[in-house]
Amino acid sequence: MTQYILRRILQALPLLFILSFVLFAFTNALGDPLAVFAESRQRPTASQREEIRRRMGLDRPMFEQYVTWMVGNDWQMIDVNGDGSNIQPGTRRGVLRGDLGVSFVTRKPAWTRIEERLPATLTLMIPSYTITLVLALAIGVYSATRQYTLVDNIITGASFFFYSMPIFFIALMTIYIFGVQFSRWDLPALPIGGTGNGTTIDLIVHMLMPVFCLVAIQLAGYVRFIRSSMLEVLGQDYVRTAHSKGLSESNVVRKHALKNAALPLITLIGLDLPFLLAGAVVTERIFAWPGMGRLFIESFERADVPVMMAILMLLCVMVVVFQILTDVVYTWFDPRIRY
Amino acid sequence: MATVKNVQAAQPVPKLQNYEKGTSNLSRSLARLRRHRMALVGAALLVFVFGFVIVGSILIPVRASIYNEPARALQYPSGDLPFGTDVIGRDLLARTVYGGQVSLFVGVMAVIVQMIVGTLIGLIGGYMGGTVDSLLMRLAEAMLSIPQLFLALIALRIFSDPTQFPDFTLFGRTYSSTMIVIVFVIGLTSWMRVARIVRSVVLSVKEQEYITSARSIGAGNLRIIFRHVLPNCLAPIIVSATLGVASAILLEAYLGFLGLGVRAPTPTWGNIMGEANSYIGLWYYWFFPALFIMLTTLGINFLGDGLRDAFDPRSLR
Repeated sequence: MTQYILRRILQALPLLFILSFVLFAFTNALGDPLAVFAESRQRPTASQREEIRRRMGLDRPMFEQYVTWMVGNDWQMIDVNGDGSNIQPGTRRGVLRGDLGVSFVTRKPAWTRIEERLPATLTLMIPSYTITLVLALAIGVYSATRQYTLVDNIITGASFFFYSMPIFFIALMTIYIFGVQFSRWDLPALPIGGTGNGTTIDLIVHMLMPVFCLVAIQLAGYVRFIRSSMLEVLGQDYVRTAHSKGLSESNVVRKHALKNAALPLITLIGLDLPFLLAGAVVTERIFAWPGMGRLFIESFERADVPVMMAILMLLCVMVVVFQILTDVVYTWFDPRIRY
Repeated sequence: MATVKNVQAAQPVPKLQNYEKGTSNLSRSLARLRRHRMALVGAALLVFVFGFVIVGSILIPVRASIYNEPARALQYPSGDLPFGTDVIGRDLLARTVYGGQVSLFVGVMAVIVQMIVGTLIGLIGGYMGGTVDSLLMRLAEAMLSIPQLFLALIALRIFSDPTQFPDFTLFGRTYSSTMIVIVFVIGLTSWMRVARIVRSVVLSVKEQEYITSARSIGAGNLRIIFRHVLPNCLAPIIVSATLGVASAILLEAYLGFLGLGVRAPTPTWGNIMGEANSYIGLWYYWFFPALFIMLTTLGINFLGDGLRDAFDPRSLR
């Protein structure tokens, strides 16, 4: 097992290196990071801009910048003025030594930017994903054990409906009804955006609508998936055998069917979980939620390469980690699988 | 003896049902599709949406979708302007019609790009095997480990420099070049699933005996691919292309909603909603484009589900 995990990690490393290079090249092509200074009140002069450029290493060729991003430049000297009069040692330690670089915009470490935003995204994504999974399991199993009944048809129809619904439609509708119209009708309206004034109660009130929208959108896909994999398992011979042994219906469904139907579900969860860290770009935009999705958009709009790279590489690493975790969880659910 | 023969001949020949008569797989699948109620609803929805966009553009001149009159900004729907007006007084009905054309065009074209690239990569990978295959599959894996929206945003920014790609005029209408760029961006960031499906079909077909016999009579690689392998991939390609149009339209809408998709002057359902995001209280501003996006994706998903059932021989009912 340990050997297997080690092998998987070793296999993933080259992929991560290539990905990081390609992403670095792309994010660097987005535009001039110094363009943000053009809007600031104290516009730096051309020579100041050149100095900033040299300090940040932006005057170097892209490949050299990539090496610096990867291994740092504290073993190099930087000629800040460009004429040899002010030579300083580099300060960056590189991604390989845990330094993700400094945001071009806020001058804070890129990792600090992520640390500021990640909690907000997780407070949104973890509850909504948990609720989604629990509800989807309940509804999916219920619907599969009653195939082609009225309830099952209604559930299938509804999940098709929500599956096709763009997230902004449901988000704008909920805001319009519970935020706008409720206050027009003098009913207690829900707050439209933001995270509230810092108290837990207020945070929960602010979470109600975005969590509802995320659940409504995600739920449909999971219900359909669980229903179809349950149906497949329920048609197997061993389920009929279990029934004929006289086991109770709930016992058969829970112990014999669900545990086998869970395997494809685990794969799906393992694929989806890392992307929860990316936040929900559109939902965060609509509900003015200060999460990772908005951080990405903000850094994207200002060509803030270090922050974008930090987010993208975090996601890539998490995808690899969750793939390996999925395989480990597999052995626990299905003892036939050995590595 | 003669009598026995006569008796046998007199027995009624079992009548083939209509849908079994067709000899090809395709006609049988189409017959199955026609009996799929959900697929028919989906097709009807799509006919409605396309009808709206086409008939609308015949009845409403394209001028109306860009003509602005600030004096009538943000008007409530009325007889003259059934969908109301937007923030600079443009007719939202006209914008929904012409925006719909662009959204549907982008969705369909992006899927064509996606299918061509995905099929090619899947075919090459599955057929060649070895290093080429594993490199291509690593590439697909790598691209799947980044959210598509992020990839699309980055690619879109790099390739939509207005100084390099100016607006262009076609049939007397001016379009933003981002419309073409976005087709390729969406297509090139979503080919991975198709490639995987095609590759898996190729891998299973490759081992069949008729491929060996085709090779033994001297058929070349290209002939084998086009005569024997590709037809086998057709059903899954059609299904994923249908469903792909829905996700392409959604992605375009998300990009437009974030204000980073197709740029003005070209309206799309997505960028109308992006403009409406600051006016959530005025329901008519965002409701209609969102409704049409939903009708389209709903129709496509119904139809795609029906197609999957129709093409899957296991789902014979």
